[in-house]
Amino acid sequence: MSDPSLLVVVQRYGDVPGGAEAHARSVVQRLRPHFAIEVATTNSTDYLTWKGDLTAGLDQVDDVTVRRFPVERPRAWNFKLYERRAFRTGHTLEDERAFIDAQGPYAPALLDFLFKRGRDFDHVLFFTYIYYPTVLGLPLVPERAVLVPTAHEESAIGLSAYKPVFHGPRAIAYNTDEERRMVWRRFGNERVSNEIVGVGIDVPAERDPARFRVKHGITGPYLLYVGRIGVSKGSRELFAHYERWRASDPAHDVSLVLVGDAEIAIPKTSGIVHLGRLSEQDKWDALAGCAAFVMPSLLESLSLVTLEAWAAGRPVIVDARSPVLAGMARRASAGLAYRSAAEFAEICELLMDDPALADCLGRSGADFVARTYTWPRVVETYLDLLAEVRARLAA
Amino acid sequence: MRILIVAQRYGAEVVGGSESHARVVAQRLAMVNEVEVATTNALDYWSWAPHFPVGESMDGHVRVRRFAVTAPRSPTFKDAERHVLFEPHTLADEQAWLAIQGPHTPDLLEFLRRDGKSYDAILFYTYIYEPTAAGLPLVPERAALISTAHDEEPLRLVPYRALFQLPRAFGFLTPEERELVHARFHNEHIPSEVLGIGLDTPPWHDPEPFREHYAPRGPLVLYLGQVSEGKAVDELIADWIAYRDDGGAGSLVLAGTTRMAIPERDDIVSLGRVSDEDKYALLEAADVLVLPSHLESLGIVLLEAWQVGTPCLVSAKNKVTTGQVARAGGGAPYDRGGFAEALATVLADRESLGQSGRVYVEADCAWPAFDMRLEQLVDLIAN
Repeated sequence: MSDPSLLVVVQRYGDVPGGAEAHARSVVQRLRPHFAIEVATTNSTDYLTWKGDLTAGLDQVDDVTVRRFPVERPRAWNFKLYERRAFRTGHTLEDERAFIDAQGPYAPALLDFLFKRGRDFDHVLFFTYIYYPTVLGLPLVPERAVLVPTAHEESAIGLSAYKPVFHGPRAIAYNTDEERRMVWRRFGNERVSNEIVGVGIDVPAERDPARFRVKHGITGPYLLYVGRIGVSKGSRELFAHYERWRASDPAHDVSLVLVGDAEIAIPKTSGIVHLGRLSEQDKWDALAGCAAFVMPSLLESLSLVTLEAWAAGRPVIVDARSPVLAGMARRASAGLAYRSAAEFAEICELLMDDPALADCLGRSGADFVARTYTWPRVVETYLDLLAEVRARLAA
Repeated sequence: MRILIVAQRYGAEVVGGSESHARVVAQRLAMVNEVEVATTNALDYWSWAPHFPVGESMDGHVRVRRFAVTAPRSPTFKDAERHVLFEPHTLADEQAWLAIQGPHTPDLLEFLRRDGKSYDAILFYTYIYEPTAAGLPLVPERAALISTAHDEEPLRLVPYRALFQLPRAFGFLTPEERELVHARFHNEHIPSEVLGIGLDTPPWHDPEPFREHYAPRGPLVLYLGQVSEGKAVDELIADWIAYRDDGGAGSLVLAGTTRMAIPERDDIVSLGRVSDEDKYALLEAADVLVLPSHLESLGIVLLEAWQVGTPCLVSAKNKVTTGQVARAGGGAPYDRGGFAEALATVLADRESLGQSGRVYVEADCAWPAFDMRLEQLVDLIAN
């Protein structure tokens, strides 16, 4: 018997930044041995403009067939206006429809493909609830659709347009228990089959903090942040908290190392070091050597890099207002959450003064990741969910 | 409980099976709940022309909110429909078809989006029209779909792919409808209730004049309903003539609005529309009721015939009526060409078949039984 077929739908695919996109690619790689698998996506790598910078048509990524459909309109230059209209109270259904199109990626040929060919696949896995390919594509194949929402609290999720996305699919693969609870509270869709799946974390065997320090000239203890550096990631608050702490507590000479692309200006404060993007090995070396990993972002459905910090055995400092991160840190006993600049400073001092505590939290995090976020478990859970979809269709 | 019923048309003067069902359900639920109806200002479904005033009114204890239809049904609707049903076409064509079909009522949809959450349960009538197909996705968490679906081409169209996956519960008119929907959409996991219908006790009626008039010439075979080719009355007439040509006796009486030419023969009588009293008088006077239609969501006239102990013949092509007859033990299905034989069989056993039908209806269509099924449906959503 031939392998069952699986179509994966995602807004961008390949060598593109973005947590959900990386998530999709790693899941495709792990599911490839079990399915005849294809990816349907767009010809864009840039979610800010959706410019068609790749060739539309058939492509191959990691030996998987990728169908790239053309984005026919860039993201509306006045997208903020569409957002304001759709998010105000008293907005209309037309405002919502206009928002979905303006947000993009506007790729009607991808929808036509799902309309005509979607039912040739045993299942269709949609990544990310928010974009055009999922909002308008999932209702074309709901009876074989599995949604990986990667949802968090944000204005868009309150729109009626998303109700069919959360009520229509045959199953939902949530990233965390916190995400699932948020979705259930908003949508009341408890009856849709679901599992908490997440991803697996691949930990390299060798991690060498000394190599990282030498290569990048880092001395002394450091806090680490890895990811996009921007307003929506909470970076400004992180800078402010760090500066206040250092000003009030000069005795602790701790730098803040930032890894990733910067979308905003980084203050020239002494102690803040921006390294840009790093290789995988460099990243793991950096993670293994940090005094603590800091994740100030509020809007995360699953922070891969936070899981990686834990896998490297380091404690994590998170914003208490992020339900997912604070919830995970509590469940894992592997991090501390701050509600103010003062608490941020206290947590930093505590971890600096008590390295044994920091190590203990980090070990607990490593255990948590090894228990939950491993590929064999993730793959098995996907196989079960998808088998259930096939069984229902065959019934 | 606060319950909203959404239907494309609503009112005592509205003719239509699902619309009548919606009104019965509204009135029954209103005896113990706060019930409102959201509907349009249209009376007929071929023009959607404005008829009722827009705004709020009361129908007994039911508050009716009527929203304006903003465009009449397009004169090119039939062309658009043929295009999406039978010709190569695009996704956009299928999506556009829904609004062209109508009734297009943006205010009704905005009302659902804005105020839908203030109801504990929302019952949507008829899968096919825009108020349901575009409205239910705005409130899936509190919606029941009373789809009144039959095996017809539009059921394949794209607006319905998601619609049948979204509600919290389904209300089906018959077990056959449930089987059809499950086979099409693989949505067995959504709970459902087979509602059927409740019936009042028949009004006073006197079958004797009809029997005296028609029965002496052989069996009185009755058709009651819209007299049209859509209801396959042309097939019935052809079967009847073949039966007579082979030496069969009796009269075929047709009662109902007439939308086709009827051959002028002594043994075929067309009465046109009849009063409720005459309807039951005819049903009781008849030796057998025939329902030749291939597509019915629920053959209510069969139930009414059984109320007065008359057995029924139904087209074997119609799964719903064939299933009803089998459940009631109140008649027989027939194939084209097998009409005379089936008629003879039913006539030979008229009393016991009629009695079996009567027992079935008394149990299944009693108001307390119907009310209980409705309550179970509402509980599926509200709990």
